[in-house]
Amino acid sequence: MGGVRTAGDLVARMQLNRGMRIDAAKKYVAESLGVAVSDLNDPIVMGEVRDDKNIFWISEGQTTVDGIAAKYNISKLLDLDINCVNRFLKNTGLG
Amino acid sequence: MSKILTRFGDGYKVELTEDEVKADIEEGCNDAASRAGIEPLARDEQEHIFEMFKNQDTLVGIERGREVVMTYDGMSSKIRRAHIVIDRVQSLQVFERALGADTLELSHIDYSFKPCKPINGFELPDLDLLLNSTVAPVYYGAMPNLGLYSQPDGPCPNPADLLPLGKIDEARQAYEEAIEHAVSDIVFVASAMYEAGVDGINIDTVGAAGDADFLTALKATEILKEKYPAMGIEMGMAGEFVLGMHGNLSWRGVKLAGLYPQDQVRLAQQAGATIFGPAINIVTSGTLPWNVARSVTFCKACSEVSEIPVHANLGMGVCGIPLTLTVPVDALSRATKAHVEICRLDGL
Amino acid sequence: MIEQGVVESAGQCLIKGSKEEAVSLARQVIDGGADPVELMNLAFIPAINEVGDRFGRGQLFLPELITAADAMKAVTDVVNEVLSATTTVRSNKGTILIATVKGDVHDIGKCIVTSLLQANGFRVHDIGRDIDTEKIVEQAVQHDVDIIGTSALLTTTMPRQKELEELLKAKGLREKFKTMVGGAPVTPRWAQRIGADAYAEDAQDGVRKAEQLLAIAVS
Repeated sequence: MGGVRTAGDLVARMQLNRGMRIDAAKKYVAESLGVAVSDLNDPIVMGEVRDDKNIFWISEGQTTVDGIAAKYNISKLLDLDINCVNRFLKNTGLG
Repeated sequence: MSKILTRFGDGYKVELTEDEVKADIEEGCNDAASRAGIEPLARDEQEHIFEMFKNQDTLVGIERGREVVMTYDGMSSKIRRAHIVIDRVQSLQVFERALGADTLELSHIDYSFKPCKPINGFELPDLDLLLNSTVAPVYYGAMPNLGLYSQPDGPCPNPADLLPLGKIDEARQAYEEAIEHAVSDIVFVASAMYEAGVDGINIDTVGAAGDADFLTALKATEILKEKYPAMGIEMGMAGEFVLGMHGNLSWRGVKLAGLYPQDQVRLAQQAGATIFGPAINIVTSGTLPWNVARSVTFCKACSEVSEIPVHANLGMGVCGIPLTLTVPVDALSRATKAHVEICRLDGL
Repeated sequence: MIEQGVVESAGQCLIKGSKEEAVSLARQVIDGGADPVELMNLAFIPAINEVGDRFGRGQLFLPELITAADAMKAVTDVVNEVLSATTTVRSNKGTILIATVKGDVHDIGKCIVTSLLQANGFRVHDIGRDIDTEKIVEQAVQHDVDIIGTSALLTTTMPRQKELEELLKAKGLREKFKTMVGGAPVTPRWAQRIGADAYAEDAQDGVRKAEQLLAIAVS
């Protein structure tokens, strides 16, 4: 789907950790992000959405939220437990 | 009538007439249908495949809006295979950020759970670095590879030695013993990686050593799911049917030998897998229209009954992709389009 | 004339892997005056082919294949007992050495090929896995085989099959043996490129190709 260049990583998370089939996973992610399903693999739309929501984008020279911080935001947006985020929160006493 | 340029399963080019392509597609469908006891593709679906091969553009693409998720096996070594010196984390960053991979898979070059067990502690720093520097879901992947538990590589008598001697009971016992060792190794490695933060486990090339290998994966999945309900587990197969190397093994009352993808996926989801990957081996002497039609027929039946996402294994020598080190893009794109559009797959 | 009922019973005996029943059926039919050669050609040989086909479709499994092979061998012995020396049914279609090449420890596929070849009346010397090319040639000479079959599961070990072809030529033995290659990454084109005599897609194809190489009529 285009991974972090679009919304492929987010749809993949819903498949891997919730066992959702593709249409359900796309719908869930689109609703969570407030975009149309047809925008999920559009790098232009999704680049802006990812930037706005601080979930990492291909930013070429500009700052972006990356790694665990981006995944923390994804976890909130998708209302999905992300294993490494939970570990981070536990290890830092934040969670 | 102009000829259609396509390839054999070993990647070499062949020119066929339209009638020959149509006949190959029909035969491929029928071969799969008769083996697996499923319906062949409908006429319009066969026609759809034919149109893909008739189109002589180098690349064909899937219909807009039908894009699917990509998962990978042995991803950490893919770039190194092209003789590029790169470490595993960098390699996965290239996949994520440059190539647009939807998921990442950390794996050891010796891609079996058994060798991953003693070095597990040395995998964790790479995993930690990866989780801190990427965003996409991260799997840890390896194969059950039951063969590694047989002498001289492992503790159990070797069924490959015993069976030709007619020592069937002894061979079966050896497989049963190997299952316990393999389940223990998978659970150990997967648990350690999950507790270190990985999103999911890819149990890959399941069934390579036959029904005992499949049983190993099912048992390990069941244990892991019980232990970590939120763990993502992908189970990818080794071939279209489960070889009966033991012949008498069953799981929850279902005999495993001889199961085709539409039955394999039911067991995988019952065990707790969240993604299933059917694998249909290429027949190198068959044409790509024949191979693609055959593979799509198997995968469609699997996708129709599945409640979990189905990611067909489109890779070297599997699911209509020629058995070549450098895959021709005309072949890759046609196999992809056919599987995604006809099987209603969730991923590749 | 072999009755249809006998053909069906022969198939059942082999599929069940019942040596006793197969031998008993063969003796009963021969004692009844039937031609033993016809019994083999019309009943038992098609039956063992059916066993191989079912195995290739996942309808019958390796242990059953092995017991079927054992039953088939016993029937062949019975038939040969009653035939004169000049008209024996060939209990050995040919002798094959089989090995997984050096550096490659995979032996499951090779085990299946060995079993299916044996089931189809070949004498097989399976010399194992991770076998040095020199040793393959030495053993082939020692056992005076007709065919050398090698398996390679890895792209990194396939070149050993080419090495075998070159070593046979260097030793002046290339014409003495037929060579057959197989294994997951191996293709017909590879066989052609290295000069092997045949490529086997799978175990059943291995039987077909072995029969073709030795010019054995396939029923």
